[in-house]
Order: sequence, then C-alpha cells, then structure tokens
Amino acid sequence: MEQKVDIQELSDFLLEYATCMMGSGVHTARAVRSVSRIAEVMGYGVDLTIFQRNITMTVKSPEDYSIRRTYVRRIPDLGINFRTISELSGLSWDAYDHKLPLGEVESRFRAIMEEARMSRWKVLALVACANAAFCRLFGGDWVAMALVFAATLVGFFVRQEMSARKLNHLVIFVVSSFVASLVTSAGVSRGWGGTPEIALATSVLFLIPGVPLMNSIIDILGGHVLIGVSRAMNAGLLIICIAIGLSATLLLLGKDAL
Amino acid sequence: MSWNVWEAVIFDGLFAAVAAIGFAVISNPPRQAVLISALLAAMGHGLRFYLQEYVEISLIPSTFFAAFVIGLFSILFARLIHCPAEVFSFPSLLPMIPGMYAYKTILALIRFMNDEDSEVLQASIVEIFRNGLTTLFVLSVLVIGVTLPLFIFHKQSISMTRFRKRK
Repeated sequence: MEQKVDIQELSDFLLEYATCMMGSGVHTARAVRSVSRIAEVMGYGVDLTIFQRNITMTVKSPEDYSIRRTYVRRIPDLGINFRTISELSGLSWDAYDHKLPLGEVESRFRAIMEEARMSRWKVLALVACANAAFCRLFGGDWVAMALVFAATLVGFFVRQEMSARKLNHLVIFVVSSFVASLVTSAGVSRGWGGTPEIALATSVLFLIPGVPLMNSIIDILGGHVLIGVSRAMNAGLLIICIAIGLSATLLLLGKDAL
Repeated sequence: MSWNVWEAVIFDGLFAAVAAIGFAVISNPPRQAVLISALLAAMGHGLRFYLQEYVEISLIPSTFFAAFVIGLFSILFARLIHCPAEVFSFPSLLPMIPGMYAYKTILALIRFMNDEDSEVLQASIVEIFRNGLTTLFVLSVLVIGVTLPLFIFHKQSISMTRFRKRK
C-alpha cells in the first residue's frame, strides 16, 4: 500500500480551500462536495460545519480514528468570483480523476487564487452600459438611459473607491446608492426626459445583490437552511441600505418628486 | 408570428443581453461564460416578454418559464464547456430581478410615513403590499425555476466541471 498524505498537511490545505471557496460566493452544497471529493481521493474522511463567518472541519482517517484533526477558520471576504469557483471546482475533479499528489493540487490552487480580476475600468464601463440597457427594459426613454448611464458610472466608481479603502460594506451601499440617485435627480429635477421615475428607480439597481440572494434560496432549498437564512438576511440588509440612500435623494428632491 | 412581434422580442433580448454582460462582470466570470450568459439572458428575457405581451400570461408564471428555460440551457452549456451551471445561469437572471417593484414598495413606504390624509394612507398600504409581494414572489420563482433543472438532472449537475481541459 502506498504512503498516505500526512493528515496535518491535508487538513491545512482543505481548510484553506474550503474557506477560499466560500469566500468567493459558492453555494454551500458545492463547497461541501468539492472538499469531500479531495479528502476521499487522499484516503481520508471529512465533516464540515459551515456558517456565514466560519468553517469547522474535522479530517479523520477511516482506518484509525485516533488519527484526526479538527480546526475552525474564518472565511475571508474575497468578493464574488465565478472564475475562482469554476476553477476550484474543476481542480477537485482533477485531483479525484487523476489522483494528483497533494503538492501538485496545492500549487495549482495557489495559481488559481493568484489570477487577476478583470480590469476595474472595463468593469466600470460595462456596468454602466448594463444599467442603461436595464433602464430601457423597464420602458425608460433615451434621456433616461443617458441619465442612468452617467449615474451608474459615478455611483459604481464611488463604490470601487470605497471598497478599495475597505470601508464598512453597509456604508458603501448607502453612499453609492445616494450618489447614483443624486446624479440622476440632477437631470430629473430639470424635467429632462419623459420617464423620470423610471430613470430614478433604475439608477440604483446595479447595487442589488443578485448572486447572494440566489445563493441563499439555493442553500435553503438544498437543506443548508441556517446559512441560507443568514445569506438572505445579509442581502436584505444591503437592499435596505440601497433604499436608505435612495430615499435620502428623494427627500432632498422634495415631496413633489415622489 | 408577424415581423413586428419578432422585432420587439429581439430588441428586448438584445437589451437584456447587454444588461446581463455588465452585471455579470462584477462577479468576474470566466471569459467564455460571459457570452453564454448574454445569450441565455436574451433568450430568457425575450421569452418572458413574449409570454407577457402576446400570450398574456401574468408576470410570475412567465418569469418562472423563462427561468426554467435558462436553467435547462445552462445545464447544456455547462456540459459543453465544463463550468458549474450557476456561473452562467445567475448572471442571465440578473436582468429579471424585480428592482422596479422593490423601488415602488419603498416609495409607497415613504409616502405612508409622511402623509396624513387617510385615503392616501390606504392607497399606500395597498401599494406596499402589492409591490412588496410581487418582488418577493418574482425573486423566489426566478431561483426555483432556474434550480429545478439542476435538481432534475442532479447526477449531471454535480459533475459539470469534471474532465476540464488542462491548460
């Protein structure tokens, strides 16, 4: 029988893998499956408890239950990253199908985690176009689309700048939503365009946390009810923050604007 | 179907595709996935638009059908390019997130808190409930519609990323 991987090294790696996966915004069932898959091919069993902030993990050897490790680790906030999710999930299958040694899996893992995100300016431009198109879907006219484009450009830039300075994310959402709707209201209050209420409403919609909302419902349907509810709660808080920023603008505009 | 109908549906789909691309890149998807989610968003949103405008099915069931179709096709594409299905199905749902109803709920809420006239208050309550519940149901129906195919094809959906090509 070939030599098994050292349990200490394996559990260190699995813990990092699991926390990075959860931090990138995967739904819980996928994280559990991927981790179990890697552990299984290395000849160990693994049990996980996943909460919003922490993962508790026990790795054990099926032949000898005295060989086991239990750790708790905080989940880092990496921001939602579909490429990481997709590649980490693929890595777990590669490890399983090709029986890769732990060192190889680990070096590939490091390479995946170091891949750069898309350039922030490209994201900024695309998000602005997207929100303008979104405005059109709700029946806004060309003036409304132009206003929403400008508002999203400014609002999302503010959000990027504040995230880079690591401010509280609730504050970021209130301020970005306020700024975006304020820019739109500058045009709306001059009576530009035929659909001012649509322009105002869509100008903040780029902030809606769509992916966490959907993850929360998937988790609840898949039986991970506790984490699903805490994700829904977090997304709900963010939506309330968007509403606070928007209502600040509406109060500035006065009652007539409502 | 007449040409006018096609034109309206295709335009609706095009704008949905642009919206999906922009909202997708916030979450840093793999490059091929961006185009596929744009395609799926155009299909889903166009279908919903067609069902609502020309078949006259109400908002919630037509959203469900659109999400279901997106879910089915996302499984197909997931098999083809070996990505988890949610990598393209989530971004393509984003244009259908009921932001406008959420906004109207909040607007009615503010009016309810500020006004004194009892008729306005009653009208506001109706609006808060109607728009608030629509938001909630559209959101749930979106996710249920898109995950239903994942549960139906459970075996396939967990092994999407298997046999990815090594770079």
